[in-house]
Amino acid sequence: MLRRILLGLIVAAAGAGIFWWLTIPAVVAPASLAAYTPNVANGLAVFNAGGCSSCHAVPSQPDRLKLGGGLAMPSPFGTFTVPNISPDLTEGIGRWSEADFVTALLKGTSPDGRHYFPAFPYASYQQASVADARDLFAYLKTLAPVAGKTPDHDLPFPFNIRRNVGIWKWLFMDGKPFTADASRSPSWNRGAYLVNGLGHCAECHSPRNVLGGIVATQRFAGGPNPEGEGWVPNITQKRLGDWSAKDIEYFLESGQTPDGDTAGGSMARVIRNTSQLSPGDRAAMAEYLKSLPPVEGPPRSSKAKQKEG
Amino acid sequence: MKRVLVVTGVLLLSVGAVVAQQDVAVQQQNLMKAQGKNMYGVLLKVVKGETPFDQAAVNAALAGLEADVAKIPTVFTPNPKVDVVDATFGSSQKIWQNKPDFDAKVTPVTKAIVDAKGTAKDAASLKVAFDAIQAKCTDCHETYRVKLK
Ligand code: HEC
Ligand code: HEC
Ligand code: HEC
Repeated sequence: MLRRILLGLIVAAAGAGIFWWLTIPAVVAPASLAAYTPNVANGLAVFNAGGCSSCHAVPSQPDRLKLGGGLAMPSPFGTFTVPNISPDLTEGIGRWSEADFVTALLKGTSPDGRHYFPAFPYASYQQASVADARDLFAYLKTLAPVAGKTPDHDLPFPFNIRRNVGIWKWLFMDGKPFTADASRSPSWNRGAYLVNGLGHCAECHSPRNVLGGIVATQRFAGGPNPEGEGWVPNITQKRLGDWSAKDIEYFLESGQTPDGDTAGGSMARVIRNTSQLSPGDRAAMAEYLKSLPPVEGPPRSSKAKQKEG
Repeated sequence: MKRVLVVTGVLLLSVGAVVAQQDVAVQQQNLMKAQGKNMYGVLLKVVKGETPFDQAAVNAALAGLEADVAKIPTVFTPNPKVDVVDATFGSSQKIWQNKPDFDAKVTPVTKAIVDAKGTAKDAASLKVAFDAIQAKCTDCHETYRVKLK
């Protein structure tokens, strides 16, 4: 009996040790960032490709550059409130070092060494280059500070335990930056980088498992809208097969679909960002999307369903 | 026997209710489709240079849009609680949780259409007016329209 208790304790201790080890937040060491003169103009392009303003701009006002946060993001795990990332010294990121920022964006770890929740789509941003992250930081520093603290997230146990996010990261983040495919054109690679990394298109356009991780085999194949009602469409060639690359490019510029409609829902915010990109970047994204093999998305009930009023 | 009749009657009634709700949903969707016809079937084609600028056709499309948009608050008063069968789009339940805000999204569209009637004199000026109208349609679709597939 005693032996069994002891064994149990050892297993528990080992488990706790593994948990502790698996959930250590990763950081980018300041010393690893060599001297660099950031390119603020590229920082603006990174900002638009990354769609930071979709979530961090103060809601219900027209200025995309007022990054005081406050948007409530419903999710199956509770409601997140997007924080202030303006250069404000107390409530924003005005006192952050460059390494703090690069760590947040590429590792999802805060300056005080805690995990961010993946509602901040760093699982995609991790693919961005360190140079793009540094340019983006320099650009954000040029924006006007916005005062005001945002409310805390409203998450039930156990989703409110940040350390648990370490397990999520271990399961769903490979920690690898984007690697170019030498057999493809430079524009295809640019498109793959933008769509998978900064554009974080897969974050909405893929089904998720019960733990909130993207189902890798159905990446880009669409699924139920994680923010609430409706469906996020499949953007593999399963659905976009009859869109030309030009159609996709025009859609990312104007929101107009070839069948005579305009993007609504959360895609409307995405178009406000992609419309600001260079035509070359939009063409690259279209080239990459046209190369995605057709993948069947998750099934959805076809009958009109009675809604709860 | 009586019991069977009652049960059948109740079933028929509830089927009837669902059909009526379908009618409401279809009516709401048809209003939007009519707007889509004028907007994308007529105006967008001119903006993209697929059809030549014709002042009379543009005026007619704008007048049609203005009339349809004015009907949105009334046509969307009942909550059908169902989506049109096999439709691409549906209405968010948020409409009936905050109908005043939904209705408030109509006024800016009307204003943009009225402005367009004065300014759209050729393909280039129509493009500016089109983008202004579209931005206001999108302001409502962003919150209240739901993609279903
Ligand atoms: C889909 C919505 C979304 C997008 C897009 C987004 N963020 Fe965030 N961001 C969040 C949320 C939610 C948090 C809070 C995470 C947490 O508390 O764990 C956050 C946190 C942050 C933080 C940490 C702030 C703090 O006070 O600790 C930074 C920095 C940040 N985001 C920068 C960015 C940048 C730069 C971009 C664009 C490249 C971006 N975010 C895009 C949702 C988003
Ligand atoms: C915040 C979630 C979100 C993100 C991020 C997002 N999308 Fe979307 N996307 C949607 C939704 C929702 C729709 C349906 C639009 C509607 O309701 O009209 C959509 C529609 C589309 C469509 C039209 C498909 C169709 O069947 O009509 C394309 C193409 C598309 N998105 C591409 C992209 C690309 C490329 C990116 C990355 C730059 C992206 N999306 C990022 C949510 C998102
Ligand atoms: C006050 C809100 C509101 C405004 C303003 C509005 N719409 Fe809509 N629209 C909706 C809703 C809700 C739906 C979904 C209803 C449905 O399709 O069943 C919709 C659906 C649509 C659809 C898809 C119809 C389909 O199912 O095929 C089109 C096209 C459309 N709207 C065009 C427009 C145009 C063009 C304008 C501007 C001139 C506009 N709408 C203005 C709320 C609005």
